[in-house]
Amino acid sequence: MRRELKLRVNGEDYILGIEPHRTLLEVIRKELGLTGAKEGCGGGECGVCTVLLDGKAVKSCIMLAMDARGKEIWTIEGLARGGELHPLQRSFIEHGAIQCGYCTPGMIMSAKALLDKKPNPEEREIREAIAGNFCRCTGYLSIIEAIQAVSDSRKLV
Amino acid sequence: MEERGFMVIGEELPRVDAEVKATGEGKYVSDIQLPGMLYGKILRSPYAHAKILNIDTSRAERLYGVRVVVTAKDTLGKKFCIHPHLANNLLLQDEKVRYIGDQVAAVAAIDEDIAEEALDLIEVEYEELPAVFDPEEAMKPGAPQVHKEANNIVLHTRREFGDAERGFSECDVIVEGRFTSPGVAHCCMEPRGCVAFFEFNGKLTVWSTTQAPHPLRQDLADVLGLPISKVRVMRAHVGGGFGARFPMDAIDGIASVLSMRSRKPVRVINTRDEEFISSRIRYPMVIELKTGAKKNGRLWARQTRVVTDNGAYNNHGISVTGNATARLSQLYAVPNIKFESFVVYTNNIYGGAFRGYGNPQMTFAMETQVDEIAERLGMDAAGLRLFNANRPNSGTVSGCKITSCGLPDCIEEVVEHSGWKEKRGKGRGKHRGVGMALMIHGGAGIKAYWGKDCNMSAAIVKINRDGTVDLYTGTGEIGQGSDTAMVQIAAEELGVSLRDINIVSGDTDTTPPCCGAWGSRQTFTAGNAVRYGAADAKQQLLRVAADLLEARVEDLEARNGRISVKGSPERWVSIAEASNESYANRGTPVIGRGVNDDPWSDVIDPKSYYGNYNSAYAFAAQVAEVEVDTETGIVRVVKLTCAHDVGRTINPSLARGQVVGGVLSMGVGYALLENLIRENGVVLNGSFQDYKIPTALDVGEVECIFVESRDVNGPFGAKGIGEPTMIPTAPAISNAIYDAIGVRVRELPITPEKILNALREKGKHNPR
Repeated sequence: MRRELKLRVNGEDYILGIEPHRTLLEVIRKELGLTGAKEGCGGGECGVCTVLLDGKAVKSCIMLAMDARGKEIWTIEGLARGGELHPLQRSFIEHGAIQCGYCTPGMIMSAKALLDKKPNPEEREIREAIAGNFCRCTGYLSIIEAIQAVSDSRKLV
Repeated sequence: MEERGFMVIGEELPRVDAEVKATGEGKYVSDIQLPGMLYGKILRSPYAHAKILNIDTSRAERLYGVRVVVTAKDTLGKKFCIHPHLANNLLLQDEKVRYIGDQVAAVAAIDEDIAEEALDLIEVEYEELPAVFDPEEAMKPGAPQVHKEANNIVLHTRREFGDAERGFSECDVIVEGRFTSPGVAHCCMEPRGCVAFFEFNGKLTVWSTTQAPHPLRQDLADVLGLPISKVRVMRAHVGGGFGARFPMDAIDGIASVLSMRSRKPVRVINTRDEEFISSRIRYPMVIELKTGAKKNGRLWARQTRVVTDNGAYNNHGISVTGNATARLSQLYAVPNIKFESFVVYTNNIYGGAFRGYGNPQMTFAMETQVDEIAERLGMDAAGLRLFNANRPNSGTVSGCKITSCGLPDCIEEVVEHSGWKEKRGKGRGKHRGVGMALMIHGGAGIKAYWGKDCNMSAAIVKINRDGTVDLYTGTGEIGQGSDTAMVQIAAEELGVSLRDINIVSGDTDTTPPCCGAWGSRQTFTAGNAVRYGAADAKQQLLRVAADLLEARVEDLEARNGRISVKGSPERWVSIAEASNESYANRGTPVIGRGVNDDPWSDVIDPKSYYGNYNSAYAFAAQVAEVEVDTETGIVRVVKLTCAHDVGRTINPSLARGQVVGGVLSMGVGYALLENLIRENGVVLNGSFQDYKIPTALDVGEVECIFVESRDVNGPFGAKGIGEPTMIPTAPAISNAIYDAIGVRVRELPITPEKILNALREKGKHNPR
């Protein structure tokens, strides 16, 4: 039985008819075609499905889409604007923080949640913010550096 | 090697696929959605060992939304294995299941929920059989028989190089020990999956999470009975490989069969649970090792007995074990070697290739004993290693011909950068220690594919009218950065910039054959093919330019998008002009062809094992600095100093990515955390909650040093880096733990529990 759901994703409104047991990840990937958020475990353990919900990083694979009603959702697809990459995206590229890329969208969204709240975090806070985002390729150091570089450049502004 | 200023080799350039990955645009297999696509699920065995008496699919077939249910009778029943003579696995099992997770039937339905529900409606009648889980038990007479081979032994090998008995009799110190290595899961962040579409013209197109597209094409053609031309393996981004993604996985064939039967595109993706219970693991090994040395420190004799848990089906078991034992004679060129190995079936999940291919298991044992010998002789462990280290242009008793070798430099670099001399043996009071380990590994692949004698890559380089380049390679880009390295090699050879090159890799319908991403082979072997192809295209351009410039071909050079007369830079034409002249005015578009069939290495002789199996060898030295909490047993890896001989660094950012990732995301996990715990064939920790891999909170500092030994046959001197990075990490950490607290754990992973037990046994554990 499908129910109506109004979602606001990346600044745009959607009116959908969805089955109430669908997760937010299923809906943004399948109904909206936003496949940047990935499924890695389906249990909220690995973080490749991370999106922002009212500014907070959430694991969209364990959240019901219905519970996102009325919230502001941002996915990786919403970051680059007007043909310009987001500073975090640029920094990940410049710091070699991307290998297979499967964890990248979730990792960047977790980093964005942190920096939006705390523009100049300590290294420890960066590590904690991405502790729920697994990466099997990079060993994390380049990712931590990429996030630090964005916070440092903000310090200069 | 000619020395000149490079334009792009050695430059810290961003990867060519970085933007599409950073924006989430890059499509992975699970992102592919075709019109009318069905969703497949696999029914897996709940028993470790059972006869299949009957399968009734009728109820599942009647469920709303189910389009097709397939069992073994819907397949050709062709057995497959990377070693064809040992093939005993089926896409869907017919008579028996041999491990929990074995594939029995599959469903395709209009959505995943229905497919899942249909699995519950398939009725399989099993007759449970006695099962065996310990390889050493499985070898005993009367043990349950997994396949036809007596005592479950797939392969029993005994070899000797030099004279081991005499060698040991000449030694002044001998150490012995038993080392075990657990089942380790690859944990690629992207679960394995496949989208298959079989069309009415008889053509099958497959998007797969593969690291070897052309071998997969061949495997699918074989198992489905199709001509190779009717199978197309397509490129998608691949979320990590590490060895897990070659050769064909049953999931590729199952998705194909579901599509052939339903005449619809079908997508099958493993859940993470399925990944943990039914995908490949690092082969667990029990290694009994004996090492002897003379009193001057020369390592003189080694002997080992290896038992490998092959699991339920043949895959890489024999070659992983062979690769492990091959290292005995290679590292330090020890002159007297004897080994015996058993590869044994059990009713466990079966193993696969995994970064290092048996070498991490053996290097853990070998490098632990080198430290023990140094201690017994009262020598510095770094000095002993340097004294014994392999040298350039040297050989081994097993027939290796080592050309480039930067191992002595690697040792000296890590000694200096880790503060070895100030720290070694001085931190015991503070429970801090440093430990070293070295490694040797193939840096060019091995003649192992398509039968037994192929290690080949090919490339096509097409120059467009505007001077831009289309580069076609059959390589596997799995995140390691191979596409970027190939583009850099082509750009350097052609004298064009990176952005002028469009790479097409991994689509088997348009790219020339290549054995794929394994054996740390692509930089060297495919890189050479790309360089040859670019050189061929360049020669064609130079001939045209020679006419235009009224100069001789041999007097021309291509740099920065121009072809100019050497010494007269004002006489030039652009590559675009030369290409256009050839293309439009002469009707001969420039198409270069490069093939590298690896002419420098020998085909493996299974009788003697004697020969030079790698065209180039990669070397490394790593030092780990650890801090051990003797109350909790927790080991903190403070810093890893890593020096790798990569021949020539094509791209420092990519190379560093391999080292830091190999060391921190995998090496530390292998040393301290990871163990796929199985009890009676049941995986007990099959989730990320229970199976621990390193997180951002667990990783310490890494210092990375590249030693450039300039391999004589490598492209611009380069050789492989992918696997070597994690091979010495575990023994370096283990040796550092001993330096810190004086106990050795020979069973990986070195968990806090094992540390506390070892401390207790030593009587050193004094709780307040």
